[in-house]
Amino acid sequence: MVRPVGIQTPAPAPSLGPALEGQRAELGDPPARRPRRTIRPSTWAGLAFVAPLVIYLAVFYAYPLYENVSMSLHRYTRATFVTGQAPYVGLDIYREIVASPLFWPIVRQTATFVIVSLVFQYAIGLGLAVFFRRGFRLSGLLRGLFLVPWLLPIIVSATTWQWMMDADSGILNRFLGVFGIDPVWWLNAEHSLWAVTIANIWLGIPFNLVILYSGLQNIPTDLYEAASLDGAGAWKQFWSITFPLLKPVSAITLLLGFVYTLKVVDIIWIMTTGTGTSQTLATWAYGMAFGKGTSAVIKYSQASAVGSILLLVALVMGFVYLFVQRRQED
Amino acid sequence: MITTRSTRFAKVAGVAAGAALVTTLAACSSDSSGSDDSSSSAKLTTVTFWDPYPQYDDSSDWAKYVQACAPTGTTLKRTTAPTADLLNNLTTAVKEGNAPDVILLDNPAVPEAASSGLLAPASDVGIDTAGFDANLAGPGTVDDVTYGVPVGANTLGLYYNKDILDKAGVDPSTLTTWDGLNAALEKVTKAGSKGITFAGISGEEGVFQFLPWFWGAGADLKEPGSAQATEAGQLLSDWIGKGYAPKSATTDNQSASWDLFLTGKYAFAENGSWFAKAASEQKFHAVMTPIPGKAEGAAPVPTGGEFALAPLQKKDSAAHYANAKQVIDCLVGKDNQVKTADALGYFAANKDLRQTQIASDKIWAPWASAIESAQGRTSDLGAQYTVTSAALSTALQTSLNAAGDADQVKQAFQQATQDAQG
Repeated sequence: MVRPVGIQTPAPAPSLGPALEGQRAELGDPPARRPRRTIRPSTWAGLAFVAPLVIYLAVFYAYPLYENVSMSLHRYTRATFVTGQAPYVGLDIYREIVASPLFWPIVRQTATFVIVSLVFQYAIGLGLAVFFRRGFRLSGLLRGLFLVPWLLPIIVSATTWQWMMDADSGILNRFLGVFGIDPVWWLNAEHSLWAVTIANIWLGIPFNLVILYSGLQNIPTDLYEAASLDGAGAWKQFWSITFPLLKPVSAITLLLGFVYTLKVVDIIWIMTTGTGTSQTLATWAYGMAFGKGTSAVIKYSQASAVGSILLLVALVMGFVYLFVQRRQED
Repeated sequence: MITTRSTRFAKVAGVAAGAALVTTLAACSSDSSGSDDSSSSAKLTTVTFWDPYPQYDDSSDWAKYVQACAPTGTTLKRTTAPTADLLNNLTTAVKEGNAPDVILLDNPAVPEAASSGLLAPASDVGIDTAGFDANLAGPGTVDDVTYGVPVGANTLGLYYNKDILDKAGVDPSTLTTWDGLNAALEKVTKAGSKGITFAGISGEEGVFQFLPWFWGAGADLKEPGSAQATEAGQLLSDWIGKGYAPKSATTDNQSASWDLFLTGKYAFAENGSWFAKAASEQKFHAVMTPIPGKAEGAAPVPTGGEFALAPLQKKDSAAHYANAKQVIDCLVGKDNQVKTADALGYFAANKDLRQTQIASDKIWAPWASAIESAQGRTSDLGAQYTVTSAALSTALQTSLNAAGDADQVKQAFQQATQDAQG
């Protein structure tokens, strides 16, 4: 259900696996706590219940993960991919990737893309959520309209952004022209990172709006009443009630947003095919995995290595989230 | 009370879930044994056929045409995927042992497919490889082994909007050198029209469009960073810088750049022979002329089009190859070669057959010499072409983004020399 910012990423993309598995580990605790008899019928029932999930996880999470890591440790070419006889090279491919002159610029671009996207998506999403909380006339309709970016197929919205950002006849440049600003070549090597970030912010707002809005519904209204009786203005109410009480929801929104944004491929690929500064770790991995864009040569192992790095980053963020959550509970 | 009920429910549900699991697994195993049976029997009743033409669906003329080539007693199952995906799909299919019987693969991908062990040599399959023009059949031969034959060929030309040229006072006969073309571009843009559209998108498609300028400058694919190569990059870079070409050329593919030309605002378009028919049906007068080289005369253009090939089969290869031979013979045999080429908007790859084809429709006439002088992209480098193409693509992207800046273009092509080695 929660499937907003472009996650149709194929092969080497990391999944939500780490984050979800972390949560599952917690949920999995209770049955283990009462081992009174060795095997009770209900234990069997419990195992039967767990079996489909475990098999599902093994087949669709653990196995691809294992394959991905294994691929990054063997040197695969198209020929050795077919024969399956790729030589084991240890961490050589990781070393080559990190030593590549492309690596650090791409890491910087990825960081910029993710952080700027998250900050704006969250800030605008929160602002809109608070705005819609008042429930004025037509607010439902307007809120519905804000979901449009989420509902549109990415191929449609990304192509539309590409048109709007056309350097010669795009509407965006014409709009800037009204204010006497020189036309911007949005999709060139230098500016393309900002172009795709803007499009991605637009895409991510609905997700933030929906989650934060539902989080707002759980804040009791009497708190606001009490605050206003004490003479707190709207600004004070926001910083003293809304923001602190929204922290758990904010944390999960930001975590999910981080993971989604980190692995965005589609909108960038459609707009620029990852050229210039719009290359991120995810588009780089995608290009190498399928021999597309400027990476015409297929590079299975290098793509897997970048995929594993992405996975590791997402995993670290998952732990950060768990740590933050635990501190909030204490 | 509540606990006992929930445990009983748990038991029932657990048993149900377990049972469901067993049935699923059983279903899986019976499935796989079923497919084993069908593939181990030597009599094949299905011929699988892959092509890179997703624009033709199952009800299209092309689909019916291919169906008609199914050997007697078999049904042909056609699957289609975009050009950029087909080689990857084939790689996986050969690995898994369920490769198609016949594949139509884009010609620059053939050497890589062959050297990766995905294709069966034509002699093993029994494909008749005689009678095709050497320049068009070239990409099918890798390290002296021929793997397949062209189903037809296409190439690039320079379309111009005659209405715009007339208005700006440009004589089309001057379009035989870069200087002539640049002078024409200056005139038409001064007269209020737009200049030229081309596809500079990253990847093979952009390189395909860059090669006429690259070769036209006298550059060689073995030296992608030469001074001549840099000149070609500078030419296109200047078009962006001077506003002759749209900035969107950096991301336009050939369809997108063609759409821009069809607006009727652009004087020139570099595009493929497959649009010749569409060009003849416009409100404005669109004419094709060969792409000029730097010095007087037409530039060498790259050949486009697919090859009919039989992928390597691990099981029942003889039966698969026999079917493949029949389908390929049907598509490119003497009786059908022109029909196949016509169905795809291509030229027949045999000179004599092509002459009858060209004679039958006058829109093909200006293309005749272009297709004869066209060069295979992989002829010089074989499978190594992919690496050089990637290097050129990067250099081209940088050059277009430089919008005329000579230092950046120069650096980009110096980098290409390095990239092409790695």
